[in-house]
Amino acid sequence: MFFVMIFVIFVVSFQAQRPQRIISLVPALTEMLFAIGAGPQVVAVSSFDEYPPEATKLPRVGALLDPDTERIISLTPDLVVTYGSQVDLQAQMKRAAITTFDYRHGGLAHIMTTMRELGARTGHVAEAETAATGIEVRIAAVRARVAGKPRPRVLLVFGREPRSLRNIYVSAGRGFLHDMLEAAGGQDVFADADRESIQATTEHILARAPDVILELRSENIPDESALREELGPWGRLASVPAVRNKRVILLTGQAVTVPGPRVADGIERMAKALHP
Amino acid sequence: MPALLWADNVSFRYAAGGPLVVDGVTVRLADGALAGILGPNGSGKTTLLRLLSGTRRPTSGRVLLGNRPMDRLSRREVARQIAVVPQETELAFEYSVIEIVLMGRHPHLGVFTVEGPEDIRIAQEALAATGTAHLERRPFHELSGGEKQRVVIAAALAQSADLLLLDEPTASLDLGYQLDISSLLQRLNRDHEVTMAISTHDLNLAAAICRELILMRDGRVLAAGPTEEVLTSDNVRRLYDVEADVHVNDDTGHMTVVPVRRIAR
Amino acid sequence: MNVRRRMITVVSAYAVFAAAVMVWAPTVGSTDISLSKAFDRSIPWDQNVDAQIFFVARLPRVLSGAIVGASLASAGVVLQAMLRNPLATPFTLGVSAGAALGAMIAIAIGLDLGAMGVSSVPIASFAGSLVAIAIVYFLASSQKRGLSTNVLLLAGVTLNSFFSALILFVQYMADFTQSFRAVRWLMGDLDVGSYSPILAAIPFIVAAFAVFAILPRTLNLLTMGENVAAARGVEVIRAQRWAFLSASLATGAAVSLGGPIGFIGIVVPHLVRLMVGSDHRIVLPAATLFGAAFTVLCDLTARTIMAPMELPVGIITALIGGPFFLWLLVKKS
Repeated sequence: MFFVMIFVIFVVSFQAQRPQRIISLVPALTEMLFAIGAGPQVVAVSSFDEYPPEATKLPRVGALLDPDTERIISLTPDLVVTYGSQVDLQAQMKRAAITTFDYRHGGLAHIMTTMRELGARTGHVAEAETAATGIEVRIAAVRARVAGKPRPRVLLVFGREPRSLRNIYVSAGRGFLHDMLEAAGGQDVFADADRESIQATTEHILARAPDVILELRSENIPDESALREELGPWGRLASVPAVRNKRVILLTGQAVTVPGPRVADGIERMAKALHP
Repeated sequence: MPALLWADNVSFRYAAGGPLVVDGVTVRLADGALAGILGPNGSGKTTLLRLLSGTRRPTSGRVLLGNRPMDRLSRREVARQIAVVPQETELAFEYSVIEIVLMGRHPHLGVFTVEGPEDIRIAQEALAATGTAHLERRPFHELSGGEKQRVVIAAALAQSADLLLLDEPTASLDLGYQLDISSLLQRLNRDHEVTMAISTHDLNLAAAICRELILMRDGRVLAAGPTEEVLTSDNVRRLYDVEADVHVNDDTGHMTVVPVRRIAR
Repeated sequence: MNVRRRMITVVSAYAVFAAAVMVWAPTVGSTDISLSKAFDRSIPWDQNVDAQIFFVARLPRVLSGAIVGASLASAGVVLQAMLRNPLATPFTLGVSAGAALGAMIAIAIGLDLGAMGVSSVPIASFAGSLVAIAIVYFLASSQKRGLSTNVLLLAGVTLNSFFSALILFVQYMADFTQSFRAVRWLMGDLDVGSYSPILAAIPFIVAAFAVFAILPRTLNLLTMGENVAAARGVEVIRAQRWAFLSASLATGAAVSLGGPIGFIGIVVPHLVRLMVGSDHRIVLPAATLFGAAFTVLCDLTARTIMAPMELPVGIITALIGGPFFLWLLVKKS
């Protein structure tokens, strides 16, 4: 262990300017690293990384709750991207003289801010700027397209027990899902709750009567009949305008659930669903 | 004389392969009998009472109640004829005295039947017979040891059984209560015609009220018969390894046993 | 001393209370609704929001709360009497741990076996509870002489910790959203979303209650000890077997419907005993009714106190149940 530490300090002192061995424990930030051209510097990712395809070929070193500290240190990283709540890991990295980049989910703008910060930290300032601006331009285009159109009141669902109306989790007054919806020309029916998400009861949903129910899933639904079955339980809430007017829409794929560089895709798809 | 309860050469072990706790015992209780079961700790008295009350089945041998084998009778049928007073009663929850005594009516009630005026009358009579009528509304757990034991006997009486089996009914009581209980039992036997078998360590109690005795040691019957024949200093020595003087008061016929010293076995 | 009159009076009082709570509960919530509109048949169903809130959102919730509360409270009464242990709960004998393990597995592997409008989690948790019941039962009755309550207790407690370890393992292997759902399930949730899960649970609970109906006087005697009960004419082993199986079945069905909502199965029986004594002919029906009302009230609090946020009902039952119980204990002594 002592020799490893010496070696790590040695490496860090020489490579401090531009990290060459990055480990990312946050899938959204792995995506960002690849998007800003720092992909070749990434040596390991979390157990949940699925995008981009290059990232899936890298060694996996645990995730939010179970980071494999020993493995991380043995890979001699010079930058470890951690989630803000991983304070134990951050302390261990500090003791091993490994710098960390501590991230927490925020709103939509925070995605671009994070990309620029990552650009500065990894020596890809210009590429990060290009990538972030590109996303901002696309979002602005969506905003322009939906501007002036009536903004439907939307229930944005990101979790629900399959085939039932139990344990419904929806986006509320802040966070990137709320911001994405707002950019896509929708109005969150739970915008008054100053939280990222709440568990919505059937009573709340009936009372707030959303015009559109937008349900997000990271995994795909195989076929039409499975989709019908999946959305079937919403039919029970017959008085909800979204149900009456058949505007219960399922959006699948990580673009709509990961706060990373694909967020513009997600917003475009949301806008298309809300304003066909 | 026909036997009301007859244990015919019964043996019992608690676990397969374990020792015989009761080993080939034959006991006959005639109608109206007042029998004492004596023996040192672990001699099988309590187990014998359980076999006699049918709450345990003998490993071999059989128990007849009236003329019918006990194992052909349901628990309800047996409980209508035999009531048991356990050595100690520990309640997991709090009940009033009258509730405890009314529980004795269980074998006489149908599944959904509630105790009626007749049951309550019987319970109150049982309380009166044991001198505890004034305790009717009291919580059982607040009573003294002697009061509790008398209430438990009342509950057994409320069962309206012809037979009463008592397991060391005076074991945890002071002298006054011991006398109360023993005169109570004698009265019940005489006035209410309850047939009784009492297991006890108290030789003087046995000598005072029991008309016949069964001496048990190591699961076997050492001697059995009328009290005055069985209760000899020779038998006491064989039973407890204790040298004892047995006196008979010529005027009253009362027997007293005075232990002298323990002897090596 | 008239036993029948006392039974009728006391149980009626509890029935009136429970009925009042159940009639009142669906009329209140985070939204104000007009009852006359809710029951107005002339408004088309899909345009009558008030009717939908009343019949789709609140009524199933109140019903499931009542069923879960009644089952857990009565199962608590039966098990405490049968085990002669005032500290026993419906969850002591491993039933809820089995149910939880079933639910965790269903959540973690994304099990998809919904049937008759009931989703996979309740089905899996009920199956898990049956497995736990079977294991505990066969362990306890493997000895030659019938059912041993000691082994029952030990097997239940051991199974509880063993299943808890397995639950942690399954949760650890699951991803974040799944673990979150799993943890949320453990806090209890009565917003069942439709009548199907209630209808699916009812046959099992009715079967259990039918057994409960014949038990009370036997339970009174069982609390005096096995030997006394046997001497008073109770077929002890048969009674214990029925008590265990029926209480476990009610618990399994209740947990699969609403999750392992704590405190009901111990607080309600004790509260009721403090109020009416220990005669199970009164305690059992009274606790059943009071458990229903108590749970519905706790859930009412859970769904309104922080609206639009929802508190897990298990937290409310603990927050209300704990101090109330302590207060009554202090007041009584």
